[in-house]
Amino acid sequence: MKTNNFLASFLVSVLAVSFFTACEPTEVIHEMPAVSTGVFVLNSGKWKANNASLTYYDFATNFASADLFLDKNNRGLGDTGQDMIVYGSKLYIAVSTSSIIEVVNAKTGVSIKSIPMLNAAKEPVSPRSLTAANGKVNIVLFDGHVTQLDTTSLTLGTALAVGSNPDGSVIANNKLYVANTGGYNAVKDSTISVINLATFTEEKKITVNLNPQFLKADGYGDVYVISNGDYNLISGKFQRIEAGTNKVTDIAVKAKNFDILGDKLFIYNFDYDANWQATNKNITVYDVKNEKLITETLVTTAIDKTPYCINVNPTTKNIYLGVTDYKNNGKMYCFKEDGTLNFTFTTGLNPIKVVFITK
Amino acid sequence: MKTDSLHHINLHEVLVKGKQLQAVRAALPLQVISNKELKTLNAENVADVAKHFAGVTVKDYGGIGGLKTVSVRGMGAQHTGVSYDGMIMSDVQSGQIDLSQFTIENVANVSLSNGQPNSLLQPARMFGCSSMLSFSTEKVKYDSEKTLAGNISVKAGSFGMYNSLLYLSKNLSQKWNVNVSANALTANGEYKFMSNLNPLGKNWVEKNRINSDVHSLRTELNSTYQFNSYEYISLKFNQHYSERGLPGSDTYYLSYATERLLDKKYLAQFQYHNRKNCYYQYQFSGKFSNATMKFTETDPKFQTLINRTRIDNYVQSEYYLTTAFQFYPVEKLTFSTSFDWWYNNLFSDSNFGFRQYAAPTRHTGLANIAVKYSTNQLTLTANMLYTSTRETNQNETAAPDRNKLSPTVSLIYKPLENKELRVRVFYKNIYRLPTFNDLYYHDFGHTDLRPEITNQFNTGITYFNTNISFLSELECSLDAYYNRVTDKISVIYGIPFSSVRNIGRVDIKGCDVNFKISKEFNHKSTIRVNASYSYQLAQDYTLNTDTYLDIIPYTPVHSGSGSIAYQTGKWECGYNYLLSGKRFSGQNSNKLNLLKPYMDHSLFARISIKKFSLLAEIINLTNKNYEIVRFYPMPGRNYRFTINYKF
Repeated sequence: MKTNNFLASFLVSVLAVSFFTACEPTEVIHEMPAVSTGVFVLNSGKWKANNASLTYYDFATNFASADLFLDKNNRGLGDTGQDMIVYGSKLYIAVSTSSIIEVVNAKTGVSIKSIPMLNAAKEPVSPRSLTAANGKVNIVLFDGHVTQLDTTSLTLGTALAVGSNPDGSVIANNKLYVANTGGYNAVKDSTISVINLATFTEEKKITVNLNPQFLKADGYGDVYVISNGDYNLISGKFQRIEAGTNKVTDIAVKAKNFDILGDKLFIYNFDYDANWQATNKNITVYDVKNEKLITETLVTTAIDKTPYCINVNPTTKNIYLGVTDYKNNGKMYCFKEDGTLNFTFTTGLNPIKVVFITK
Repeated sequence: MKTDSLHHINLHEVLVKGKQLQAVRAALPLQVISNKELKTLNAENVADVAKHFAGVTVKDYGGIGGLKTVSVRGMGAQHTGVSYDGMIMSDVQSGQIDLSQFTIENVANVSLSNGQPNSLLQPARMFGCSSMLSFSTEKVKYDSEKTLAGNISVKAGSFGMYNSLLYLSKNLSQKWNVNVSANALTANGEYKFMSNLNPLGKNWVEKNRINSDVHSLRTELNSTYQFNSYEYISLKFNQHYSERGLPGSDTYYLSYATERLLDKKYLAQFQYHNRKNCYYQYQFSGKFSNATMKFTETDPKFQTLINRTRIDNYVQSEYYLTTAFQFYPVEKLTFSTSFDWWYNNLFSDSNFGFRQYAAPTRHTGLANIAVKYSTNQLTLTANMLYTSTRETNQNETAAPDRNKLSPTVSLIYKPLENKELRVRVFYKNIYRLPTFNDLYYHDFGHTDLRPEITNQFNTGITYFNTNISFLSELECSLDAYYNRVTDKISVIYGIPFSSVRNIGRVDIKGCDVNFKISKEFNHKSTIRVNASYSYQLAQDYTLNTDTYLDIIPYTPVHSGSGSIAYQTGKWECGYNYLLSGKRFSGQNSNKLNLLKPYMDHSLFARISIKKFSLLAEIINLTNKNYEIVRFYPMPGRNYRFTINYKF
């Protein structure tokens, strides 16, 4: 009798545990809205977590879908979303650790082609930033190259060597400016490669501060650069490369990242406190025509978490500020041009880029 | 009380009644897997064995060369001490020991102590961890007829795995034993796995685990001089070489892995034990260890580095001395005291210009006093550990001096004189020091980090019976516990750098159940059944966070293991299972971080003919595709065959 009890209790414990582990609630699938007028947010995800995602926020319904790409394609975007542009009817998404370019129908979210970014030896070359002009998407590759994707045939051209570990890029004066960070060097790079888009050759290198990363251009052909320095003795800077002369001027404004619309340059900045939390978070407005600071603190709303991206809607002039805590879903603030809060919505982890879709 | 009687009683117990009674008599929970049981667990290395302990979570990155660390009762792996042949192993850089490097060939037993081992006469360092995983090598008894004994074992298995062991033990005299062993392992480590491209649904693609080859050689020399039955000195020299690929996490849409790790480790140690006088016993030990590690990674993005390869080199050393004394001043009372000192240093260089490299050193001094009051039915133990550290970091800022006191108290009570039923309670307060990685090597190391503190409360019952008519032996235990981790050392992310701070609190409520029965039939056949089950609710209690009350990553609420082994004559066969409930891979307990439950079944059969034994094993019988660590797929069904010759 006792034996039976022991065996029974053994079996019961096995079964009980199996039960605890076997029950899984079935997932509820939400119907995604059709893409209309709204914004796409590329969420970088966490490195080595395969959780880059695409949030679609619809203006008509005020609904933010968690991951439109996953929903429409039955697969995730991959590892580390880096940049996204809308060009023509397509979205181009650079996923750097997975080393692919996703070409997506901007009206449906359905992938048209997934292009592996590999060199001749089949090694990943990690796409970092995207620009587009004349029917070509320029793809900056972290192995020191820039290549072009033909938007009709969706085939890649030959890669052009630039500096070391290039990151941000912008088109100005019919030229492609590429920031060579030299991020993995003992001594970082400090040049901007200027590429003639007609011939696809490097025309020159402009020397700026150490470790340049983000580039944007204004309507007058000036290119603005944020550099990081060496994180130790040489500090980062905000600089302008003057159109025509290529003269480099320091701008005495602290900047982590920025976007430009018309004559206004919107900058976000913050500092770290003793507990490594972002503090003094705000948006600064700079006038690119008169080259002067207009507003030091645009926003009165207290900003959560840590700013991660800023993009301005060219149609509505609303300012989108994405914030993150690097662990959980992010949050997108939409401010009006005057800095008042318009609305917020939830994004995926680490929102890195916002693009605007008009039907 | 006569001097010799007590001494004899102690010795008698240890030799005759063996390990099981140790476990049921332990005031701080102790789980022991004996040599006999070890051979029936389908285990390849010590980490596989540890998976069978209640309350243990093995973080297994999969594959033969994959990192395997042990955390106990919801506290991080850095809280678990690992001791090998009575001496704690250390890694001052990462604070954790990779158990994949210890194959079970030649291991005599593996045990897990919650809190600390129950012995009073041991190095102070043994009192200084939240829990202790111990394993020791087999020892050959002196036999005047046969002074040379040995063991040759050859193993072959899936993933191109070959493992051979040679062990030779020579008794140069009745007092002096010398033994040597060499253990070589090679494997290509490759296997197919399924990768799900849709974490919320199903979209499986088959991929290959690449860059997962392992080549290692461990050699060891032990020499023991036994002056007499109560006094010995032993020496150990150990060398370990390992070169392996790190397959890394599975990245969607990419198959590329070039990270490699080269380890070279040396160890020399001596131990002297004297148990002559029952009023006064003592021991001294010392150790020197050195470990070099070379990490390389080739990637097109390292375009300006030679061969596009990043190279990081680390060298760490430890010098360690310990002494312990035990006194019995009056009947029922035992006092012990132990003093440890050790010194660690770490040097590194890299061609990777991304971070600053430090060269820290640390002196650690420990002093422990312990007292035990014991009667036939009650044992009460208490100890107080004092820690003092001094650090330097060349000309840079070093961590401040630390001085800490940490108490432990325990009680075990046997209410009925003639029944092996016991009730036990313990409380322990201890900490883990920040590792050199935490202090000096994270992007922005933070030298003001305080130790991470754990408080453990445990209460339980144990029962042992050899007098059940239809069972030969029954052993079981049930413990409930409450642990609190405060000043948790957490990585705080930032762009472009992250940092480390003492932020966070974790509360863990749980219970561990262990159950062992065996039945002998006509002194010819034996059946043994073991089962363990753990419930642990490890939750984030950090205030003002989005993850308040979320489950701590990689701690399943439900987990368990079990085994059935049947032996008859020269045949032995058995079945093992491991199971784990759902877990979360991130701080946030949401569906995107959810890791599905799994159950892993294994079988073995062994035949022993004279001095030979042949073992065949099937691991992961159902070919279950699962992950313990997210995007580190575990191997599917695999096989091992072992031939062993013992003489």
